[in-house]
This record gives sequence, C-alpha cells and structure tokens, in this order.
Amino acid sequence: MTAVLSKYRQAFLVGLQSNLIYRWNFLARGLFSLLRLGVSVILWSAAYAGIARIGGFSLDQTLTYFITLILLQFFIGAFNEDYQISEDIRNGLINQFLTKPINYFLYRFSVFAAARMVSGALIVIPVALFLPILRGWLTFPHDAWRFACAIPALTMAALIQFTIAYCFGLLTFWLLEIQGFVILSMAVETVLGGQMFPLDLMPPAIYRASQFLPFFYQMYFPAAILTGRIAFPSVVQGLGIQLAWVVILLIVAEFLWRRGLRRHTAVGG
Amino acid sequence: MNYFRIWLAGARYSLVRTLMFRGDFFVWSLVELLWMTVNLLLIAVIYRHTASVAGWNEYEMVLLVGTGMIVQRLVTGFFWSNLFELGRNVRTGAFDFYLSQPGNPLFMVSTRKLDPDGLVNSVVALGIVIYAVHRLGLHPSVLDAALYCGMIVAGVVIHYGILVLTMASTFWLTSSNGIEGTYFTLVDFSRLPREAFKGLAGVVFVWLLPVVVVSNAPARTLLHGFQPLWTLWIAGVAVLWLIIAVAVFNLGLRRYSSASS
Repeated sequence: MTAVLSKYRQAFLVGLQSNLIYRWNFLARGLFSLLRLGVSVILWSAAYAGIARIGGFSLDQTLTYFITLILLQFFIGAFNEDYQISEDIRNGLINQFLTKPINYFLYRFSVFAAARMVSGALIVIPVALFLPILRGWLTFPHDAWRFACAIPALTMAALIQFTIAYCFGLLTFWLLEIQGFVILSMAVETVLGGQMFPLDLMPPAIYRASQFLPFFYQMYFPAAILTGRIAFPSVVQGLGIQLAWVVILLIVAEFLWRRGLRRHTAVGG
Repeated sequence: MNYFRIWLAGARYSLVRTLMFRGDFFVWSLVELLWMTVNLLLIAVIYRHTASVAGWNEYEMVLLVGTGMIVQRLVTGFFWSNLFELGRNVRTGAFDFYLSQPGNPLFMVSTRKLDPDGLVNSVVALGIVIYAVHRLGLHPSVLDAALYCGMIVAGVVIHYGILVLTMASTFWLTSSNGIEGTYFTLVDFSRLPREAFKGLAGVVFVWLLPVVVVSNAPARTLLHGFQPLWTLWIAGVAVLWLIIAVAVFNLGLRRYSSASS
C-alpha cells in the first residue's frame, strides 16, 4: 500500500517541480482573470442600478460569486490537462506507462493535483494585491454546514473537471486533433458551469434541467455552496447527483482508455 | 495594386487550404458560433431581471454586442492567426522569412493567411445586428448604414492596432507566452455600454484605451443617427492607434536580431 502511494507521491512531486517552471504563466493568467473580473463588475453594477436584488441576491453577493469562481478556477479547474494527455498519446510517451506498473489515470491525476497546488498558491498573490478593492464586495455566509459540504463538493468538482479533460485527451486515440472539440466543450462548460452568469438566474425550468448535467457540478455547485446561493436540501441532493457523475465519468474514462489502447499502435524504438 | 495582388494570392491559398480541411473549418465555425451564442445568453439572462443596463434596453444591447462581434470576427478572419504567429516567429527566428520578402514587413506579416471561419461568422454577427435593428423598429438611412460600415472598418483598424502592439512586445520580451491574453481581455471590455464605465474605469477604458469607442460609436449611429462627436472620435482614435502600432512595430524591427543557430 505504502509502495503504491509513494509511486504517485513521486509523480506529484515531479508535477510540482515542472509546474513551478510555469509560475509566471499562472501569475499572468491570474492577473488577466482579475482584469476580466472588471467586465463583470462594470456589467453587473450597471444591471443592478436602481435594483436591490436580482434573483434574490444583492450586487455584493453576485460579485462575491464571480470572485469565488476565479479562486476555484485556479484551485480545482482543469487548465490544459487535455492537451498534455493528447501530446502523451501523439508522441508515444504513453507507451512507457503500458509497460510499467503505474496507472496512467492516477499518474495524471497526481500531476494535476500538483499543478493546482502551484496555480492555487499563485492566484492568492494577485487576489491579495487587489484585496483592498475586492474587500468591499466580499460577503460570505457563515453557516458551518456550508464549509462542511463544500469540502466533498470541491473534491468531486476537481475530479469531474479532471476526468472530463482526461476523456477529451483520450480522444486523440481516434482523432488527429482535439483542439476544436476542446474549445467547443469549453463554451458549453463556461455557460452550464456557471462562469458566464450564476445559473440560478436562468429560467427555473432550465435551472432544474442543468442540475442533472455534470457541468453544474464542476464549478457552479461548490461556488454556490460557498457563496450562499443554494439551500441545504438542494445541497444534499446535489452531492448525490455529483457523486453519480463522478462514477459515470470514471467509467467512461476507463472505457475510453481500454478501447483506445486497442486502437493504439506504438511506433518507433 | 501590387500589394493587393499579393494579398489576393494569400487569400486564394487560404481558401484552398480550407477546402482541403473541411472538417476543421466546420468545427471552428461551430466554435465561434457557440461563443457568440454564449454572449447572447448572458444578455438574455441579465434582461430577465432588469429592463435596462446603463440606459440600454435588451435589443439595444444585442445591437451593441453584435457590433462588437462583427469587428472581432473580421479581425479574426483577416489578421488574428497571422499576428499570433508573429509572436512565435520572432522567438524562433522564422521571422527572417518575412524580412527577406520584397515588401513592407508589417504588411507581409499581417496578410499571409485568411481564416474563412471568422469571416463566415462575421456574416452571422451582421445577421444578429440586423435582427436587433428589426426588433427595435429602426429604419436607418442609407447614409447611416454607410457610416456604420465605415465605423466598423475604423473599429477593425483599432483592434488591429491593439493586436500589433500586443504582439510586437515579443521583440522586447523573450517569452511572450499568453501575451495575446492582453488583447482578448481588452476586447471583452468593448462589449459594454459607455455609460456603464464610471470613475477610474471610465478614464482607463473610455479615454486611455480605445476599447469602448469601437462598438459604442457604430451602435449609437444606428440607434440615434449621425453623431459628429462619436464619428470624429472613432476616426481619430483609429488613426492615432494605427500610427502608434506601426511606429512601435518598426522600433521592434530595429531590435530584432534573428534567433537562428
């Protein structure tokens, strides 16, 4: 058991080092994210002019939601994991995993966890820098159960984010180029994950329907728990659906991996 | 005239390429279409809860965002991938190839390729604007429509200027990874109405950086007819930023010392 764990711990440590190389990239991305927050601030401030509440939430609560999204993006979001996996397959690096007693999914997930540790630590810097401005808007609920529920929700959200990216990466077994599909799905995830607007502002019927999709759980759900946009009964139900999606996506990933390997031919020496 | 022939040759080559990779063209057109839909969804959701944003009603906002999309799709279609590659080429030294060509380097760099999917989607964006005009019951005169087109061209020039400036920074920076984010971040702001910008944001995005005028000036022309101040403003900003961009590019050119082995 410890031998198994130490294997992935090494992968994690290597991931930590290789992601530290990109610290300036992460930092720049963080700054751009905060600049883009400016668009949301200006737009929603204008929308709230003369209105105290939209969908039952104040302007501060809505802006807190968007700020939380930025933090979550850097702590649990998938960045370019799909491309990394795609590259592994394309240039044959994947072959070395086939002959070694290491699980590719777990290896990649260890590297992903390390990457998010680096990017998560780095987003704290620009957020702290802008905190004097941001602080005026921040308003979090204080219920203890929200933090307790946020932990499993965040963990599963990270798993869903990573597994979706992993599946897209595996498509390389069948397709030469996945870039188009990745960006296509990114548009869907951006909307249905709640990055454009809080999903609860959609018409109730569509909001209900979105709760049954995996995208709901990769960003909006944990953010809504933390910022008080979702009530306790819905959270409990949500955690159940989220768990179901984790299981389904893991099965899909395993299925794609097995099927893909059957098509895969290792070329060269 | 000579330059037009060069451009035409590049355009023809790009079209042939697109016909070769039809699946790619289809996927990328879909991608851009989807992103435009995403922005319209945002408008739809906001206006479910409020009747006006900074004094703009729902279809006025669609008109504004659609106008911004036309400009951005045209820039994507004509210039984006060319200038994006400029960053990479300067780093790798492949930029030498452009310098050895008998023509203005900035022209050669900017016009090598066309992206037909961007151009196709600019037509879709135009459709969105026409739909908004129809819903608003506007009947712009021929002159206003012509002015609108002229301002779109000015908007493309402004975006081009920002893009050249962004990518020309590779002449000074060794690593320009992600530098194109600057351009996209700025463009995001151009979808907002001028009235929404207050305080420091107003100074920066309305006056210092030419992002707000790009979509607001043409949209206002369709909504309220010819407005001398906005017309002068967008024309002036286009000329100014093009001059700055060309000057900075030429400065960078002097610094460029190839990167080959």
